[in-house]
Formats: sequence, structure tokens, C-alpha cells
Amino acid sequence: MEKAKISASQLFILMVLFELGSALLVPLAIRAKQDAWLAILLGMLGSFVLFLVYHKLYSYYPNLLPTEYMQKILGKVMGTVLAFVYILYFMYDASRVLRDFGEMLLTFSYPDTPLFIANALLMLVIIYTIRKGIEVIARSGELLFIFMYVLAVAGFILIVSSGLIDFKNLQPVLEEGILPTVKVAASETLYFPFTEAIVFTMILPYLNNSKKAKVTMLCATGLSGINLVITMLINITVIGVNLTARSQFPLLSTVASIQVADFLERLDVFFMLAMVIGIFFKVTILFYAATIGTANLFKIKSPSKLAYPLGIVILFLSIIIASNFQEHLHEGLYIAKFILHIPLFIIIPPILLFIAFLQKRKDHGSKHV
Amino acid sequence: MPSFFKDRKPKKKRQQNGENQTTDYPIEQIEVSLSGNLNNIKKKTGNSSDVVIREIKMGSNSDIKTAIVYVDGIVDNQSIQEYLLQSMMKDDHKGEINQHNALDLLSEDMMTIGNISSVTNLDDLFASLMAGDTLILIDGVDRALSASTKGGEKRSISESTTQMVVRGPKGAFTESLGTNTAMVRRIIKTPDLWMESLQVGRVTKTDVTIMYIHGIANDKVVKEIRQRLHRIDIDSILESGYIEQLIEDQTFTPFPTMYNTERPDVVAGNLLEGRIAIFVDGTPFILIAPAIFMQFFQSAEDYYARFDIATSIRLLRIFMFMISLIAPATYVAVTTFHQEMVPTTLIVAIAAQREAVPFPAFVEALLMEITFEILREAGIRLPKAIGSAVSIVGALVIGQAAVQASIVSPAMVIIVSITAIASFATPSFDMAISARLIRFLFMIGAATFGFYGIILCLLMMVVHLCSLRSFGVPYMAPFAPFIPANNGDSIVRLPWWTLRQRPRLITANTVREGANQYPHPPASRGMVNRDLEEGDNNEA
Amino acid sequence: MKRKGFFLLLMMTITILLTSCWSKKELTDLAIVSAMGIDETKDGRFHITLQIINPGNVAGGLQGGGGGSQSPPVTIYSASGDNIVEASRRASGRISRRLYYAHTNLVVVGEKLARKEGLNTLIDGLDRDPEFRNTSTLVIAKNSTAADLVKTLTPVDKIPANKVLKTLEFTERKWGENVKTSLQEVMKSIESPGRGAVVSGFRLVGNPQQAQKLDNLQESAPGATLRASGIAVLKQGKLVDWLYGKPARGTVWILDKIQGTNININWAGKKEAIAYQTVRQKTSVSAQVKNGKPHISVHTRVEGDIGDMEVPVDITNPKVITKIEQSVRKEIKKELRSAIERAQKNKTDILGFGEVVHRTRPNQFKKLKTEWNDVYFPKLDVDITVEAYVRRAGLRNKSFLSGVKENQK
Repeated sequence: MEKAKISASQLFILMVLFELGSALLVPLAIRAKQDAWLAILLGMLGSFVLFLVYHKLYSYYPNLLPTEYMQKILGKVMGTVLAFVYILYFMYDASRVLRDFGEMLLTFSYPDTPLFIANALLMLVIIYTIRKGIEVIARSGELLFIFMYVLAVAGFILIVSSGLIDFKNLQPVLEEGILPTVKVAASETLYFPFTEAIVFTMILPYLNNSKKAKVTMLCATGLSGINLVITMLINITVIGVNLTARSQFPLLSTVASIQVADFLERLDVFFMLAMVIGIFFKVTILFYAATIGTANLFKIKSPSKLAYPLGIVILFLSIIIASNFQEHLHEGLYIAKFILHIPLFIIIPPILLFIAFLQKRKDHGSKHV
Repeated sequence: MPSFFKDRKPKKKRQQNGENQTTDYPIEQIEVSLSGNLNNIKKKTGNSSDVVIREIKMGSNSDIKTAIVYVDGIVDNQSIQEYLLQSMMKDDHKGEINQHNALDLLSEDMMTIGNISSVTNLDDLFASLMAGDTLILIDGVDRALSASTKGGEKRSISESTTQMVVRGPKGAFTESLGTNTAMVRRIIKTPDLWMESLQVGRVTKTDVTIMYIHGIANDKVVKEIRQRLHRIDIDSILESGYIEQLIEDQTFTPFPTMYNTERPDVVAGNLLEGRIAIFVDGTPFILIAPAIFMQFFQSAEDYYARFDIATSIRLLRIFMFMISLIAPATYVAVTTFHQEMVPTTLIVAIAAQREAVPFPAFVEALLMEITFEILREAGIRLPKAIGSAVSIVGALVIGQAAVQASIVSPAMVIIVSITAIASFATPSFDMAISARLIRFLFMIGAATFGFYGIILCLLMMVVHLCSLRSFGVPYMAPFAPFIPANNGDSIVRLPWWTLRQRPRLITANTVREGANQYPHPPASRGMVNRDLEEGDNNEA
Repeated sequence: MKRKGFFLLLMMTITILLTSCWSKKELTDLAIVSAMGIDETKDGRFHITLQIINPGNVAGGLQGGGGGSQSPPVTIYSASGDNIVEASRRASGRISRRLYYAHTNLVVVGEKLARKEGLNTLIDGLDRDPEFRNTSTLVIAKNSTAADLVKTLTPVDKIPANKVLKTLEFTERKWGENVKTSLQEVMKSIESPGRGAVVSGFRLVGNPQQAQKLDNLQESAPGATLRASGIAVLKQGKLVDWLYGKPARGTVWILDKIQGTNININWAGKKEAIAYQTVRQKTSVSAQVKNGKPHISVHTRVEGDIGDMEVPVDITNPKVITKIEQSVRKEIKKELRSAIERAQKNKTDILGFGEVVHRTRPNQFKKLKTEWNDVYFPKLDVDITVEAYVRRAGLRNKSFLSGVKENQK
């Protein structure tokens, strides 16, 4: 662990940026059609429950990284293996997000550029950032958060003043009843993007005031959930359900529809700006968690030296995980869900919590004696 | 980079020699014989024609030979004549002098000069001689007196040429250390204003003074600065820039981490916020540490004007800075990669202009920017008489002719001019220089990858800025880490009665104002010779 | 170690600079397409006509380009292919630059293609391309090929595409018989289960050969001009009917897109005596399903001023105003009714009634969805209620004709 401390507000900002990062890009929960916004809300509420589990684990071991307390809970061997699995997951997720981003860039703006170059450039900046440490990441987050919100608010104002919003597109509400919406929430939005924030359990030990962790995490999830709901609402009301479902990047199509005063048109580049910032933070945090975890597991003193090799691994991974964009999406939606998300997010942490709880009770009991 | 390495090796050897900044001579004592001393002095200064030696006879029988030595030009001739010579030659006690009590008698009874000290070794002798003191040597005594008679021609206090304000004090620092510290003393009249002097530079022996307000400044930072100054081992300090580059936190960054200024009110304001000022003799530019990013966009006038205009102008300045950074890059990116962003009529107009130009947009931008840098550099050295004529004719002719010869397009000329003007809006010259360099980086990023390149460069710049620290203070305070109480004075400038706290990361003593400073004017009626009753606030 | 890092950096920098920037598009290498016309060739392939802007002749006031009167502001190229993408790439053989579609604001579809094949096959190519914008306007060329329309040179607007676009926009605002539909809207209406699409039509009046020549612009009344003409009704993407006059306006009215128009009412025996200019209107459609039978009510609320009186009317009398309002109401109702009947005759629900049923009674609509256009819509019971208000009457109250009449008495 490096000697750094971040404040609660910095943690809040990092979490919001993380969760908004690539979720703004994809048509979230569109299988629920017009009720996508409801599915996102339900997913958010569900993730609150999981966050409480993660937080409880943190409160048992407030100064230890998850890689360390996993070893304490499950014993050295099992704990190391489990920690290693989580680290691999973080790297895989980072490469997924990077691939998402590269594909977006290539699709609408730079069709002739090879994917490798687009990813490599962003990776270079990210490696530079990781070497500086978590404090710098938090501080840059504060600055860029303001910038991203200014962009978001400006975009919203432009959309409203273009007269594009048509609330009738949201009807009929709950066309098929509430059950399909709940199904979509439980199977999609619960995992992506909300509980991906399990990576923040690696960053919580750096918090300078551990009492604020719960409130911060829940507020951040709440705020990003509301943001995503608003975004999906705007998408559906502006371009309609069918087009949203068919688009690879619905927010891009929404922004492309802005036509104000005859000269503010075709502003998709600002969308790209916001995306770069969001994805930059998401990949940085995942990558950072992987670096710190590795440094911790293998007892390496300066994590910044690991930045280069891990960065190159993530870069290459992002190229080879899928051979085309459709396969990449399919992998994320159907395959990763069962192999990765359900066990790592939903099954293992409660088990860990349960074991930790028993251990604490045993310790308590033995202390009393 | 090479010079960085060169400095390292000699430092290791030097540390063995102690703090004396040794010369080739061992510590020599002053000789007893006067003629011996005078010969020493003449030999050491190579018989320089401005070293004046005046011999006087004192004592009851006029048998005690004394001499005064001074360097003409850096001493105040009048004080030598009136106080030194007069007191020595016309005093009543003159007759009582003998070899034993000579020095005491002179220093305590007869001399009417303010500052006298005694000197025992040759190093100190020459140090004070070269600093402008007058030496008094007495035959038969192995000590000498040095009287402080520093003077000579100095520049008078004039208006500041680099940091001008419309409203506010106009005086600027001069090259003399004493005058400069005095100017600040006149503004801050508390005894807590402490000064420490030391000499830096083996050959130039430049006086360097640290000034801070005890109780407001952070002691750890003062100690750190003192340590860093003591560690400097160089032969000459010609300007405060040398010191800045030798003690700054990070060399490999385009952004300055120490602020410098020419104005006493700026120094006073910074001292009151808990910063530390470093005065260097021979230059009017004072260093201030620690520095944060927003400081370079603040000018003294912001604090004297009212809050609405001050806020708007600050916002304008930051906006101009951003423009000067990314305007050419944006133009290149938009015309080369993202032509869809521009409204159709404009893109058609730009396309028409570019039909005639043979170069791609990036090369054109580069050419124009480099030309402008050349013009700017040359313009500094133009004599004033020719300056304005050449600039008008040059701009018009070069601009117009280049456009007509189809070497550049008119749009490019406009962009470059806007960038140039915007870059002058930054109050601090150091920051404007960094913008000049970074602009090229942005242009290269834009030329290779369009807006994506610009965003990547921007990200890298933000991360770099956030990682800088200036003497322990994060460079981007008060934005990151976000300190709400200090944000009243960053991008905006809220009214003075709201700025109740000093910067939290620079000083621990944060209370600047009392509570309740909001103006509570009484009802205006009451001011006009009428009796006021309770609740009387309407004009009716 | 520092040397190695430095070297690596140098290599990377050089590599980046040598790459010659894959996605770079120099402005001078672009052919900006302002309008695209799509027709069908005899063997069923697509024939596209591209209107490319000549920048030197459009941008005024440049020292080297003073010869704007010699060559036209746009140049036309055409090519054929099995689909739009292929045709576009084939066109590269005739143009010295790369086609750039980001500023293509107008797509013209020939009438024959719209009738035979319909729009469905050509939309996907335009929708999928990242460069082509969904917000560009779609127009159907009436009584001519899209090629002829695209080749026409226009006075006042240097770029002919602008003329079409601006004409549509202003006539939508002032007269209301045409609508400016973007590609996105057309797609939405073709996709939605209870709707047919409406697209504006444009006509070339005059000689097509004359239209291409620059001399066309030399006359004060050019021989060949473009004008907006009618609304095309598309059923499942294919053109089935043209609407003009009252049915057209009524359709636009029910679609809630009228911004301002003029309604003439009869008065005192004289036809079309008073002109009523609408300023504001709001139309709402609601649906109910009773016993499996859908029932629609259309409610519209109009406000307007009196623009012209050809007979002397005493409008200072509020009762007279009420009578005028009633007449306006009847007129509007007649128009709306004619629009609905026409749409029912065409068996195409272009008025969006199906969508309203879908939104408010989704469960019942599911049963009706597949046969909406052919079975349920033509038999639909529609209730029209109109509220019309006269607010102002310009600068005068009584017409000067009242004074004339008094003198004669």
C-alpha cells in the first residue's frame, strides 16, 4: 500500500466518474424497452444491498486491502488464489472497457485508424497517471468531474432547446407488466455498471475517514444511478425506443440530433470528450486496483514499476478478447455474466462476510474468556 | 540534462570543506603593521584603480598612523567625508589615542557613523570592503574597523514595467536589497515580520534575504527553504532566476512552481497569506514560495477592484489562457478531422480559402506560430523608436502579403492573432511562456489524431498539474483537493467580507477576518442631519 | 536507465509522426456533398446523383476567386450501383476528391423509385453510416426524376439544396401544406406499428434541360424553378398517394405540426370573404377501445387574428366575433374530416391514430396491430372537436369598406 490518503469527497467523485464511465456509452437495459429507466432504478436499489455487504467487510478490516483480508479470512493459500482471481478480473474488465472505447472511437470518428493505436494512446496516458499514484488520480478526478458536468448540463440544455424531447415516446409505461422489467434489472443492470464498483473496495483503505465510507458509497451510487436514468430517459424520448435499441451508441445518436439556431449542429465531438474522460477514469481505477493488488500479493515495494508491464498486458488483452464488436458485446452480456459477475459479485462477498463474522465472534468470545 | 548531472558530482566533494565557501587562501589574520596590511590589500585587488587608501595621522604626537580604505563608487562619499573623516580628524579625543585603546576609542567615542563592527581576518576584511564598507586600519593593531557606508548610484523607485495596474500603488522594486526590504517593511508594520540574510554564490557573494511573517507562515516551509538555500553551491547568483531554478521542487515541468513579482504590494499580500518571500540583491524580481496554479492568473488589481468586475476579468483571463493553449490546435483538428462540426456555410468558406494554399493545415499553423514567435522575440530587442512603425507595417504587410501570395489562409492569420493576443492576457510572464510551449504539443496532438489527440494532451496536462507540489502544497489547490472556504478567491473573487480564511494548505493560522464584516450601512436618511427612529429605513 | 527511456520516447514519437495520420481528411481533398438524389435505373439498380459544392464559387469576396459568374456554384456527378454504398464508391471514379457526406442535408428520392420499391431498402445504408446524418431532410421528387431536381440551379440561394430546405421550412411555418421530415422521423414512422409516413414532395417546374444551365439564373423570372408540392403518403415505405390542398393541410393539422396558416371563411354570401390567420394551435388525439372497437377523438384548439376582410364586417361587436369563430370552426372541421377520409381511403394511417391507441391501450392494441391499417383504420369512428378563437385583427377594427358602404347608403 502506498502512503496516500484521499478524502471522502474525492472518493465520491471517483465513484461517480467510474460508474458513469462506460455506462453512458451503451444502450443500458434496453430489453425493457420504454421502461429501461425503471430497470436501471431497480438495479441501483439492488446494488445498494450488495454495497452494504462490501462495506461491512471493509469495516471489519479498515486498513487492509482486500487482497490482504481475503488471506486472513480464508487462510493464506485460498486467500491468495481468490485475490489473484479478483486481480485478473480487474484486468479483464479494464481491457473490456478499453475495447469498448476504442470501438466507439473507430466507429464514428476515426474509421481508418487501427484499434491498437487508439487504445495504445489512451493506455500511455493511463500508465503515466498510475505511476503518479492514487492522490493524483483523485485530484485529477475533481478537476475533470466539474468539466464533465458542465458538458452534461450544456448538452441537456441544448437538447431541451432543440425541442427534441417527446414524452410520448415513454408510453405505454409498463406495457408488459412489471415482471419483465424486474427480470432485466436482475439480470443486467445489477451487474453493469453498478456492482462493478466492487473495485472500490481496493481503494477504501486509502480513505482518511473510514466512518464516511458507507454514506459516500451509497450517495455516489445514487447519484450515478440518477444520472444514468436521466440519460436513458433522454435517449428514449429523443430518438425513440426502436432506434435506441438498434444503436450501438444511443447517446451518440441523441447528441447527433441536436440542431439549435441553425449553426449548433453535429456536436458529437463533445460526446467523445465526455466519453474519453469517463473511460479514462474507469480504466485507471480498475488498472490501479490491479496494480496495487499485485504489488500487495507479491510483496513488491513500489507499485509504480508495475504500471508498464500490466499496462501492456491490458492493452494486448483489449485487442484479443474479441475479434469483432458484436462478439465483444455478446461476451459481455451473456457469457461474462455467468462466469464472472455472479460468482465474484454476488456469491463470494457474502460468503466472505459470513466467515469474517464468525471469526470475529470467535475472537470476541475468546477475548471474553 | 547534462548540466543537471554535472552539478551532482562536485557537490559530494564540496561537502567536506565545511560551510566557509572556501577560497584558495587559508584563514589569515590581519597583520599588525599597517603598511603590511595595505600591501596585502593592494596585492589582492591587483592595485585596482577604484580602491582608495587615505592615510591619516592620529594620536597626541600625530604618530599613530591610520588609514581608511574604501572602494570608490560603491560607498557614500558624503558619509565618509562628514562622519568618518570629520569625526576622526576633528575630534577632541584625537590626542588620547594610542595603540591599545585606539579601536575602542574610535568605535565607541569618536565615530559618528551608525554601524561599526570589528574585523579580525582577511576574508571578512575583503568581504566588507567589497560590499561597500570603509575599513579603518591602525598601525600596530591586528584588528580593523569596518564602518557601514554603503551607497553609490542606485536606480530610484520607478513604476513597474512588467506588472502594471490601473488602480493601486505604482512603485516597483529596485536592484538594491535594502531598498526592497524597506519597501515591504513600510507596508507591513508588525514586528512579526522576520528577515534572515545569507550570502549565496562563491564569487558574487550575493545577499539573499528570506522574509516571512512569524505566526502566519508555516515554520516547516521556512526551514525547508533555509535548508535548500544553504545547500546551493554555485559560483555566481546573478538573478533570482538562478535561485528559483536551484531550489524548485521539480525541474521537468513546463509550469513554474515559484511565483515572482516586481511589486511590493503583491509581496505584502502573499506574505499575509502565509507565503515566504526571497529577496536577491541585484534584481527587482522577488521570489515567493509556495506557489499554486491559480496565483499565476491573479493580478494585484483584482483585489483592489470590486467583486463583480474582478470576477468577470478573472474568468476572462482563464478563458483567454485556454484559448491561447488550444485555439490553433482546435482549428487544425476541426479542418483536418472533424469537418462535420462546422456549419456548412463556414466550411465552404474555409474550403475556398484553403484551395489556394499548398500546405496542409498543420504545416500552415506551425509556420504561422513559429513566425509569430520569431516576431515576438525580435520585438523585445527593437529600439523603441522603430518599434511601433515596424510592427504596424510588418503586421499589415506580412499578413496581407502572405495571404495574397497564398502561403497562408486568412483564417489561419486570424487564429494566430487571436492566440497571440490571448496569450498576453495572462498576468504572469512565466505562465504565458509555458503556454507558448505547450501550445505546440497540442498542435502536434491535433495534427495526428484530431480532437482525440487534443483530449489526450489535455488529460496528460491535467494529470501532470495535479501531481505537482510546490514546497509541499498541492499545485492545484484549492480545486483539487477541494477546499470550499478557499474557493472564494480562485476563479472568482467574492467580496472581501466573505474571504474570511487564509489558504488552509499554506498556513495553519487561518483566521484572516472577524465575523460579520458584511457592510451594515445605517439608513441613509439618518446621515443627513435628521433624527432617526426605530425601523426608519424607507426614504419616504 | 534514463537514456533508455529517452530513446524509447524518441522512437515512439517518430513512429507517431511517420504514420501520416490514418483518418486525416484534408479540406482540399473533400468533395462536400450538399444533396443526394436517388433514382432507379431500368434494371433495378440505384442511380445516385450528387450535388457537390464548388467552394471557390460559393464563398464570396476572395481575391483569387472573383470569377464566380463563370462557373456554377455546384457540380453534379452521378453513379449507379446495387446499393447506395456501392454506388457511392463507384462515383469515386469520376470525382477528383473523396465524397464527404457530413453536410448532406437533403436526400431526394425519385417518384418512380418511391412507388415501385419504396424507401425501405435505401434507408439502412444511410442510417448505418457514421458520416451521414440522420437529421437530413428527405424529399420526394414529383413528376420528375431526383436527378433533375438535384441538377437544378437556383437564384438567391447559391447552393440549391439550401433552397429546398429553407423553402420547406418556411412553408411549413407559413402555409402548412408541407412538412419538413428528417430521415430520422421517416424511419420512426415507418417502424412504428400504427403509422404510415408522410414525406413532402418537390417539383421542378419548367424545362429540366434549362434548369441545369447557368443562363437559367440570368433571367429575372427563371424558366425552371423548384417548388414544394404536396405531401406523399407512404404505406409500408411505398408511395401510394399524393395529398394537396385541404387534405394535406388537414393531415399536417392532425399531426400537430401546423405553425401558422390562413383559413378563409364565407361571409354574407361572399365566398372566402374573411381571412383568418392562425397563430397558435394545439392538437391532441385520444383513443378509447369499446368492445374491441377503437374510437378516436381529435381535439384542436386554435388561436388567430383576422387578416383580411373583403366585405365590411363590424368586428367591434363581440357577437360578430363569435359568429366568425363558429365559421372558422366549421371550416377547420371540414378540413380535418377530409384529411381523415382521404387517409382512410388510402388505408394508411398517416395520422398517428394507431400509435395513440398503442400508447394508451397497449393490451388492446396488440390484438389490432397487424390489421390496423387495412381493417380497423378505414372503419374508424373519429370525433372531431375544434375550438377556435379570434384574438386580434391587425391595426384596424372596422374595414374601410364599412365607411364606403355608409357613404353609399
